[in-house]
Amino acid sequence: MLRVENIYKSFGNFLAVSGAQLTVGRGELVAVIGPNGAGKTTLFNLITGQLKPDRGKVVFKEEDITRLSTHLICRKGIARSFQIANVFPRMTVFGNVQVSVLSQQRQSNSLFRPAYTMAVKETEEILESVGLIEKAHELAGSLSHGDQRILEIAIALGNEPELLILDEPTAGMSPEETRITMDLVRRLAETKGLTILFCEHDMDVVFNVAQSIMVMHHGRTIVQGAPDEVRRNEQVQEAYLGDEDA
Amino acid sequence: MVKPGSSLRSFWICAAILVVLLFLPPVIPRFYTYILASIFVTSLLAMSLNMVVGYGGLFQFHHAAFYGVGAYTFGLLLTKTHLPMLVAFIAGPIAAALAGLLIGWFCVRLIKLYFAMLQISLGSLLWAIAFRWYSLTGGDDGMHGIPTPSFLFSSTHAYYFILIVFSVCLLLMYLILKSPFGMTLQAIRDNPDRCEAVGVNVRRHQLIGIIIATFFAGVAGVLFVVLEHSVFPDLLFWILSLEVFIMCLLGGWFTFIGPVIGAAIMVSLRTFVGIYTQYWTLILGVLLIFLIFFLPEGIMGFISAKLGSKPVEGIERAVE
Amino acid sequence: MELSQSISFAALGGHFFVGLSRAMILFVVTSGLSLVLGVLRVPNIAHGSLYMIGAFAAYTISRLFGGGSTAFWLALVISPFVVAAVSLVAERLLFQHLYQREHLMLLLFTFALMLILGDLVKLVWGAGEYRSIVPPQLLKGSASIFGSSIPRYNLFLIIIGPLVAVGLWLFTNRTKMGKIARAAAVDREMVGAVGINVSWVFAFAFVLGCFLAGLGGALVAPTISVSLGMDHDIIIEAFLIVTIGGLGNMWGAMVGSLIFGLTQSFGVLFWPQFAIVFPYTAVVIVLLWRPMGMLKSVW
Repeated sequence: MLRVENIYKSFGNFLAVSGAQLTVGRGELVAVIGPNGAGKTTLFNLITGQLKPDRGKVVFKEEDITRLSTHLICRKGIARSFQIANVFPRMTVFGNVQVSVLSQQRQSNSLFRPAYTMAVKETEEILESVGLIEKAHELAGSLSHGDQRILEIAIALGNEPELLILDEPTAGMSPEETRITMDLVRRLAETKGLTILFCEHDMDVVFNVAQSIMVMHHGRTIVQGAPDEVRRNEQVQEAYLGDEDA
Repeated sequence: MVKPGSSLRSFWICAAILVVLLFLPPVIPRFYTYILASIFVTSLLAMSLNMVVGYGGLFQFHHAAFYGVGAYTFGLLLTKTHLPMLVAFIAGPIAAALAGLLIGWFCVRLIKLYFAMLQISLGSLLWAIAFRWYSLTGGDDGMHGIPTPSFLFSSTHAYYFILIVFSVCLLLMYLILKSPFGMTLQAIRDNPDRCEAVGVNVRRHQLIGIIIATFFAGVAGVLFVVLEHSVFPDLLFWILSLEVFIMCLLGGWFTFIGPVIGAAIMVSLRTFVGIYTQYWTLILGVLLIFLIFFLPEGIMGFISAKLGSKPVEGIERAVE
Repeated sequence: MELSQSISFAALGGHFFVGLSRAMILFVVTSGLSLVLGVLRVPNIAHGSLYMIGAFAAYTISRLFGGGSTAFWLALVISPFVVAAVSLVAERLLFQHLYQREHLMLLLFTFALMLILGDLVKLVWGAGEYRSIVPPQLLKGSASIFGSSIPRYNLFLIIIGPLVAVGLWLFTNRTKMGKIARAAAVDREMVGAVGINVSWVFAFAFVLGCFLAGLGGALVAPTISVSLGMDHDIIIEAFLIVTIGGLGNMWGAMVGSLIFGLTQSFGVLFWPQFAIVFPYTAVVIVLLWRPMGMLKSVW
């Protein structure tokens, strides 16, 4: 469904991504791993259009989306969450999700209909499915960090994506929150038939959940394959697992 | 966001205020009628600014330019042509919105301070034209005794006309801010990058926001002429823009009615303090410093924080 | 448009030098604004008021010393310090407490300062009355250059501008305080982290910037009638100049000032009534071409 072909991005003299490759099949749960600074977040930003690559291609459903702007890529069916909690702090939890549902329904420019009557059912369903429905009328900025991260996923769901990209969904979470979040991710993949691409620090999480793992190091792709295959790969052990996950 | 109960109550409060305002002119001195009308005009300007500043998070620093465009267009059409009043009345806001489209189109490409600076420069260009084009605009003298239609000549009639237009505009702005458009505008204020990532065309949305806001600024400009029968370049001067900014700050950025409070306080202060002293700006400056240090969320923000209806959070996240 | 056929080479040259000297005044003022912008990230709206105070102070000081040549030089030297003192008081008393707040509040504070200072000038010096300063003997009269007659005072300004530029450059590149200020402009956390009191760096940059505003005011005094409203006239021009130059870039302020001063001066030559429109149009063109200014902004 998603193919990233030999992509490059540099900031000044620093090569953040140099020849990364990635394939995500429909319905798969794919993880990107790699040490800090390996270029995971940059890669995600290249896919969703926050950054434009110097070279290389991003292909989604057989369509080249490399040069599209962010909001158009979103409309193609790719939604994402961000590494740092990235919500609308002065709006309610409900409003946060509603904004993205309205955008999905192409209602963002509707001028005179009252918003509080619109997209209510869809928004409530999403909040229900991520377990935030009781906090619907709190301000997003007042939620706990863990809840803000989950709200982020909920905002992304509002776009009814085919591909959901999560940038370290459990960063800064307690082990308990991590477990709940990953259960949620897995459940979403199963019940909504979502394809999910995520990156993650916690190796246990990755090898438990992911069906396919891509390993990045210094901006390059070392290998992509099933968890067992990756675990056995010598280059990977050298570059990464060797010193961190022994 | 809005609980039906509370919005119903606000509706009745607004209706009651409107009724009171409708019955005021016969019982209060004419001077006060004039002050009230002046407050309505200024409030409309302040609220239109707050749509893009408080709700949109944009650095709209030269809003008065559009107010001036509306006023000048209306005044010029009435003075130099024989077009019917209605045409002139509609042309004013439309000209302002066109100016908003033109200037906004350049500005939304930039962010924050650059946005502000570019807008000040483009707006000042308009001011320079109004200031210098003697043969058309009367230069720094402006134009006086603009022939508004006879039915608006009595100050009471002008009052009613302004009140009605003001109320209609208020209602429209309220609807717009509560619509998906307005909600998305607030989402952009809170977090433009996130908004882009949920599929919103942020620049276009901001531009439409600017066009709407400048349209209402144009309406305010037209109403100014209805009230004062004159135009002058100070209407487009950047000092006025900043004063309107202060009105929003004073009343409260994140409340719908805040700018009205701010405008009412500023207009009354200027009128009544101005009688006793020629150092009005000194007082304004001291007031502003007081606000910055003690009431950064404005009067309405302070009140709603006291009532505990919503937690106050520095405005940095919103406008920064 | 009335385009006179007989615009002579001499007239062009004359307007060129007038524009150049105007640009140098603008540069002295905007370099200070740019310094404050670069280090504090605040467009100081009160900058124009400080410039006005500089001019009024120069007028009073030169009157105090009898209005002769010595009086002029004394006024030129003392009035920037008067302005610096005013700004130091405002900074230590109020402004420094806002550094932790968001930009908009800092910006509005400088606006409040502008409102207050404007009226204080009115209180101290009164409104009406025609005020002017006579340039010293040395700088009176005109000199002839390439067939055009240029007031000596304007030539003096053309020399002063580059001197200020070099002085500022030496300050930011050769002194410890200057280097710290420059570092603070680029990365203020860093400067705080190495144990420097950022608040004092800010205060210093702010006061130095205002000092330059005062110097600009003192320099301009002999060429105009010193009056209320000077602050409004200069501040928007100064803002536009630092914007087209690149926010916080000193050389950008120079480039911007040249563009502004020269287009203004040639505008007067070609289309007197709308001379004011030329520099604004130049600004619009520059910003369309390079939205972030001509030279690299420190932001």
